[in-house]
Amino acid sequence: MVLRGPVQGTLRIDLDVDHRTEHWLVTMTPGAVAVTRESAEADAVWKCELDLFADLVSGRSQSIAAVLRNEATVSGEVSLFLAFRRFFPEAPGARDPRTVGREALDGECDRP
Amino acid sequence: MRSTVTDLISILDGNTFVVSDGRGDIEESFDYPMGLFSFDTRFLSTWVLTLDGQRLGALSVNEENSYATTYFLVAGEPSHYVDAKISVQRQRVINGSFEETLSVRNHGTEAAEVTVRVEMAADFADLFEIKNAQRKQGTATADTSGGALRFVYRREKFHREVIITSSAEARVDARGMTFAIRIEPHGEWQTRLRAKARIIGANGRDFRESVPLGPDRPVPEIRDERRQFLESAPTLRCDSEALLLAYQRGIRDLAALRYESITLGMRLVAAGLPWFMTLFGRDSIFTCLQALPFIPGVVKPTIVMLAGLQGSRLDDFRDEEPGKILHELRYGELVGFEEQPHSPYYGSADSTPLFVVLLDEYERWTGDVDLVRRLEFPTRAALDWIDNYGNMLGTGYIYYKTRNPKTGLLNQCWKDSPDAISYHDGRLPCYPLATCELQGYAYDAKMRGARLAREVWDDPAYAERLEREAAELKQRFNRDFWIADRECYATALDRDGGHVDSLSSNMGHLLWSRIVDEVRAPAVARHLLGPALFSGWGVRTLATTEGRYNPIGYHVGTVWPFDNSIIAWGLARYGFRHEAGQIAAGIIDAARDFGGRLPEAFAGFPRDQTNYPVEYPTACSPQAWSAGAPLLLLRVLLGLRPHDGHLIIDPHVPEGLGRIELLDIPGRWGTIDALGRARDSVETGRLLSSRGLP
Repeated sequence: MVLRGPVQGTLRIDLDVDHRTEHWLVTMTPGAVAVTRESAEADAVWKCELDLFADLVSGRSQSIAAVLRNEATVSGEVSLFLAFRRFFPEAPGARDPRTVGREALDGECDRP
Repeated sequence: MRSTVTDLISILDGNTFVVSDGRGDIEESFDYPMGLFSFDTRFLSTWVLTLDGQRLGALSVNEENSYATTYFLVAGEPSHYVDAKISVQRQRVINGSFEETLSVRNHGTEAAEVTVRVEMAADFADLFEIKNAQRKQGTATADTSGGALRFVYRREKFHREVIITSSAEARVDARGMTFAIRIEPHGEWQTRLRAKARIIGANGRDFRESVPLGPDRPVPEIRDERRQFLESAPTLRCDSEALLLAYQRGIRDLAALRYESITLGMRLVAAGLPWFMTLFGRDSIFTCLQALPFIPGVVKPTIVMLAGLQGSRLDDFRDEEPGKILHELRYGELVGFEEQPHSPYYGSADSTPLFVVLLDEYERWTGDVDLVRRLEFPTRAALDWIDNYGNMLGTGYIYYKTRNPKTGLLNQCWKDSPDAISYHDGRLPCYPLATCELQGYAYDAKMRGARLAREVWDDPAYAERLEREAAELKQRFNRDFWIADRECYATALDRDGGHVDSLSSNMGHLLWSRIVDEVRAPAVARHLLGPALFSGWGVRTLATTEGRYNPIGYHVGTVWPFDNSIIAWGLARYGFRHEAGQIAAGIIDAARDFGGRLPEAFAGFPRDQTNYPVEYPTACSPQAWSAGAPLLLLRVLLGLRPHDGHLIIDPHVPEGLGRIELLDIPGRWGTIDALGRARDSVETGRLLSSRGLP
């Protein structure tokens, strides 16, 4: 994975599954990201259930909304999580505005 | 000071605020939101004081400052006041929590036994539920154990609560607190009620307990921090009382609108009371542009926050695209459960180029090249967005059309109401739409991006490319948007590339962005100051000659102080100093009639018809970019322009405004003073000063 911009630090991802917690450590340096499966002190911690994380990494759910409804928590250096957020893929079925624009040229008028 | 809705009183600290009626009561209402609000949730929806079962009437209300108000009340109707033996004082303050000190005084010669009751309820409504009169999904409970009243709301893991305590002993029930008291002759009884709103996150703790600034701030701390903030702003000395008032009010309101960001632990400026107490991309960028010469400290957190939340993926619900700068960030329940898209919502076509404009302007004033270096990639991504996702029809113009027809925004420019953009004859266009000012912002972003690329990122090839693209855009724009027979720029291009041929204030922003051909600038200036657009107070959003013109239409005829401040800046950039001065003088005069506090918008009636600016019925106030307008107008009047590390001062003060001195303007030059005077100013008389005034 490539990370643009001078983001530096460690983000631990704690995933609750059944009655245990999986720990992943994401180490971000300018231009590179490494992921290891370990529990260690980190600059930021993201915590949620594994199911939610599966939805995030498939684009079905959105991370900040999950925090706002308290399904996930983020502590420490939030900017590290904001940088990590960029690895989440697009929402399923999401459309490029340019496709939408092209189609609109022949479509019905949507004036209010 | 005048309240926006005549008898409603608001106090605020950051994004926690209380709106109540003129006697301090809060009752459930769906038209204008009354209550205690924090982070987009209403934590108190009822707060009604009675004495022996009777409501009270207000003798007077003293709005001490933005976070404290005192009400003086007596029992009964106004006609009975003469006989009042008992009076009540409610002193309230917002300091993270909401505190109200109730003092009941007996003015009679005999002891009095009275029952004081405060009716209390919390509906935990999300601001969007209030706007749309929606029902709640979760469960609310009331708990009266331990002498406190605790309202709790839960929906799955979403958890909000408010705990109300009283310093005097109270009989607590699920709907309020009752005090049966006896007061001796000329005696007084007092209690301090405190409502603490809690947003419960991990491990049952309020998330704000883990951020640097914390949820609660004692009043002396607020006062000291405010004082320091206000003292850091340049001192204004001038002859014009209206200008002084508008300047002081503006700085104070911006101070009060700063709030603690939920994510980054930084102070950002909320857009406006009551609906917009959150971060907006466009509003915060314009506010920062206005405030930069005065209170530069508010700018950097905004830039960092906007970059941190930059769009990274395609998401139709949120109108998100990689590189796009957010439109609106909300914190409430409906956003959390993805019923509303503001986490954040990206439906604005201007915040992305404006982000680049702000970063460049920030560096010109502060010399903070570190930030520009640090934000190289987000800034490049923003510039890329202009040419890829923003250029949605492939015509080289920024177009917009929401991919979320249900909760997205139809218009994604600053005039974002559904009927804001119309043809001359009043018809509404089909989407996508390319409003003219978006293209100006894109041009400016490329020119400024080029400077950053050359001077900071050390990438001359990229700089040249951006400059070439900007030049091509300017040429293309002046060909495609110009309406020759009306001698004006079209408000927009419709989806077929045809002119949306209305005459509107959008043109004024083109001057600011410098995309207007020099030879056409005089025609643009003539229109802006002509009778169809200029009301005498300011430039109307839509000209009186247009089909949809309505002097009390939100974006179709009202005058917006923020819009006018940018237009004045634009006029000045093309050398129309007299015209810029006319607008500045009109807006400053209007500010005087609003007690110094410019509302979001006011009516577009001709000045000579009403003699005072007519309030727009539901305008938000205070509003950040209205508070910032007098600041930018001052900058324009004094002709302040950073250049090569210095500040150029080239004043042009219109007649009637007298002398203006702005002392200690902060920037990369340290601090510097700017002086200007109108031709008709007189030497005699002491200048009024913003320093040392209450």
